[in-house]
Amino acid sequence: MAEGGYNAVMNSQDCTEDHFTDTMRGGAFLNNPNLVRVLVDEAPERFKDLISWGAVFDTAETSECLVAQRPFGGQCFSRTCYAGDRTGHEMMATLVEKVRALDILQIQDRTAIDLLLDGDRVCGIITLDREGNLGVIRADAVVLASGGGTQVFDISTNCAAATGDGHVMAWHAGAELIDMEMVQFHPTGAITPKDTRGRLITEAVRGEGGVLKNTSGERFMDRYDPVRKELSTRDVVARSIQTEILNGNGTENGGVHLDVSHLPDEVIEKRLPIMLEQFLIYGVDIRKEPMEVAPTAHHIMGGLAISSQGATTLPGLFACGEITGGVHGANRLGGNSLADTQVFGKRAGESAGKTQEIPVKNRLDPKDQVKKTQKRLAAYLAGDTSPSEYKQLIKDVMWEKCGVFRNGADLREALTLLTDLQQCRPHALTPANLAECCSAENMRRLAWMMVLSALTRPESRGAHVRTDISQDWTAESSPYGHTHILGEECRIEAVTNAEKRS
Amino acid sequence: MTQKMMTATVCRYNPKTDKKPHLEEYSVTVNPGARVLDFLHRVHDTIDPTLSYRYCCAAGQCGSCGVKVNGEPVLACMAEAEDGMVIEPLNLPIVQDLTTDLALYLDVMASPKTSGDCVVPDAETTEKIKELRTCIECLACVSECPAILVADFAGPTAMRQEMRIALDPRDTTNRIPDDVAAGLFTCTSCQRCLDVCPKNIAMPGKAIEKLRELADRQGLTLKTHQNVAALVQATGRSVTHPDRKSFMESVPEVIEPEGEVKATGGFFTGCMYDFRLPDTALDMIEVMKRNGIRVIVPQDQVCCGSPLIRTGQTSCLPALKEQNIRVFADAGVDFVFTMCAGCGSTLKNDYDTPFEVLDINEVLERYGYEEPAKLDVTATYHDPCHLLRGQGISEEPRKHLRSVVKELIEMPNLCCGAGGGVKSGLPDEAAALGALRDIEIKKTGADIVVSSCPFCEFHIASATDVPVKNITTMLLEGYRKKDQIQ
Repeated sequence: MAEGGYNAVMNSQDCTEDHFTDTMRGGAFLNNPNLVRVLVDEAPERFKDLISWGAVFDTAETSECLVAQRPFGGQCFSRTCYAGDRTGHEMMATLVEKVRALDILQIQDRTAIDLLLDGDRVCGIITLDREGNLGVIRADAVVLASGGGTQVFDISTNCAAATGDGHVMAWHAGAELIDMEMVQFHPTGAITPKDTRGRLITEAVRGEGGVLKNTSGERFMDRYDPVRKELSTRDVVARSIQTEILNGNGTENGGVHLDVSHLPDEVIEKRLPIMLEQFLIYGVDIRKEPMEVAPTAHHIMGGLAISSQGATTLPGLFACGEITGGVHGANRLGGNSLADTQVFGKRAGESAGKTQEIPVKNRLDPKDQVKKTQKRLAAYLAGDTSPSEYKQLIKDVMWEKCGVFRNGADLREALTLLTDLQQCRPHALTPANLAECCSAENMRRLAWMMVLSALTRPESRGAHVRTDISQDWTAESSPYGHTHILGEECRIEAVTNAEKRS
Repeated sequence: MTQKMMTATVCRYNPKTDKKPHLEEYSVTVNPGARVLDFLHRVHDTIDPTLSYRYCCAAGQCGSCGVKVNGEPVLACMAEAEDGMVIEPLNLPIVQDLTTDLALYLDVMASPKTSGDCVVPDAETTEKIKELRTCIECLACVSECPAILVADFAGPTAMRQEMRIALDPRDTTNRIPDDVAAGLFTCTSCQRCLDVCPKNIAMPGKAIEKLRELADRQGLTLKTHQNVAALVQATGRSVTHPDRKSFMESVPEVIEPEGEVKATGGFFTGCMYDFRLPDTALDMIEVMKRNGIRVIVPQDQVCCGSPLIRTGQTSCLPALKEQNIRVFADAGVDFVFTMCAGCGSTLKNDYDTPFEVLDINEVLERYGYEEPAKLDVTATYHDPCHLLRGQGISEEPRKHLRSVVKELIEMPNLCCGAGGGVKSGLPDEAAALGALRDIEIKKTGADIVVSSCPFCEFHIASATDVPVKNITTMLLEGYRKKDQIQ
């Protein structure tokens, strides 16, 4: 769960222009500038919404806005508001409180598996309940807020639900996705015990003064980014750590050291309580000894193409948060995703609310689409591969062939493996296992999108590094724009110099 | 890093096809350091994909994977898997296998009613709210709460949320009357919720007792509790003087031991042993005399204030504390000790004393004691909540008890219902919990039930026909038997 913080311009010494520049630069200028403008302009207002609803962020009475802000990577100002290292939890708690207080129908324990379409207009969803019974929810508009999908990598910070189901549902319905090759590898994931590998070690650890060292005790970020060091952007820090490990400067377990033991105990206890607690459970007291860390798949910068109003390319379908693309470009700044959820969550929700009602007489009879879904599900009941094996295969392929460093040969091999996997069908022993099979196939499709896009982008940019391609342009002067996926096709935009200047 | 084989038992239950839950054993290979959740994944992936359990973040932050392992609630993603463990659902309505219905308790959690203005609470308030804010709604506390078993109680975390809102300056509504209606006074302050909370949120001390303080200010304290407070105010004691001589009236201020003096302890009698169970306190004195402890009983000591803290009536607390600290600090003792679990917990946790405070079981452990003769009885031991959780003492009393009985037969730990003002304020609830104790006591088949707390002893004695005795009384009986034999 998101831990570190929420970026918002809250002080008169800071300005949205700087937040804009930091975000664009951090995103290797692949961001959609209009979306970034909305993000930086509205992040403070949405933050104030949270406070007005009862959120409890850390305070700083010396600060003009009374809210504490910490430095995060790639930013020229300490603009990351936080609630210890459980900022995401604090925001969830606030939003859950808000939802409970309002008269909102909540449907729990149901999995959305297909979007309902009337022509190209989205008009509801098909669901599965715990027992595998199909259901239909009709709606004038649908907002997808299903988050990310880095569960397709063997090592990931993401929760079990981050399997890209929303991305793939929308893709099946005909929505366009952009920049799906742009996957952020968070520099610092846990590596032991084995089953917890990938667990997020928040950037706040470095924000509070944590230093990275290789096994020789060298603070190696001095070499990779002498100015920003540990607080360089995540793509740079992740690559630096990975390079140290590949060059044999890593620990026996395949990581580097992240050390906060020089900080006063009370700083660690107060500002990093979850990190302290989690490591103590595994027998490491971070007040006294370093953590072992390595990069871990964390966030998909790409996603559904949206307008600044949160509209996808399909009528009736809106999206917000990690499922969307364009806000964060080729590399997201820490603290920008929590702001993204609030800014575009409000916009997408309001847009959906303003969608024209479908008159009762025009309501779609979902029979045919339900039949199609039933047919797909029936095939799972006769499937041949256990969903967990199916998923593990994807995870291994993605981690090995589409990770921090990529090359054309690996990517082509991955594409073949993922295509071949289509020959297998996840098996549902009982209807209760159907949702799991849907997710497994969605993961394959999501991985396919990432690999295909990665092959389509012939340059290194932000989090996407092609070791087999040399280039004579910088991110700012790149001749390329977004990659686009629509149906089976993937293409990349060419950018002219005139467009770059505008 | 080699994988290893692990065998564990998992509770299975499909309400549609099974009459009741049953246990099944599974053996799978796991990685070193595997968590309980990893074991469940292995069972699901390699043996039975129909196994139902909730999980999501796998990092102890979402609260969805709460289960019981060997009877104790844990987050499956954080607790280390161990060979032979028994994995069961939390004590909540079961949906299937380990999946429980969380919505039942979560849907009723309160939300702050804010004005809509962006007001940042000050640093002090923020820090106070934060202590109550880390809840991940895993419902381990609800699963284990004794009050919920027998009374209408919204549960510990619901009260945590109420206090979080009460502290928040952005919500100015008065919710206290609703909190009382939601069972604020049904909590026995057993602290089991804190014990099992994966985030260590002190719900009894930082939420329930504080809400009771707010209730007190609004005159919503139960009448019987008000009577106790009035009594303390008038007499310095929380129970009325007995018809017979109290303990303190029966002993000199300094009681010399029979042999060499190992140490001098100041005895904090507590109101219950002084006025209600003086014979038990006298038994303890005999045990101390026999084991070289000089006991000093300062006559000016007063109620520790525990009944007032637990019921939220804290206005006269500073005076009580000041007097107790003064009389014992001046008594020339090596330590202060008590045989009341409630007083001990209060002196250790709610006081800032210039002297060391020990429970009687710790005194016996530290200074040693003469081996008693074995009595020809079997016993079960009831853990007083304020000794087990309030002071972390569970092994010492068992050791002392084993030295004097034929056999100690364990029973599951559960609050007897005497604490938190429940016995006086809500006697029906206390009786219902007492009845549950009686059932467990009977299941052990033990001849007697032994405890080390006057509230527990007094209350359990009213709930069972099995004889209830204090641990020091048992030792004294052992000595008497020894003397007879010799």
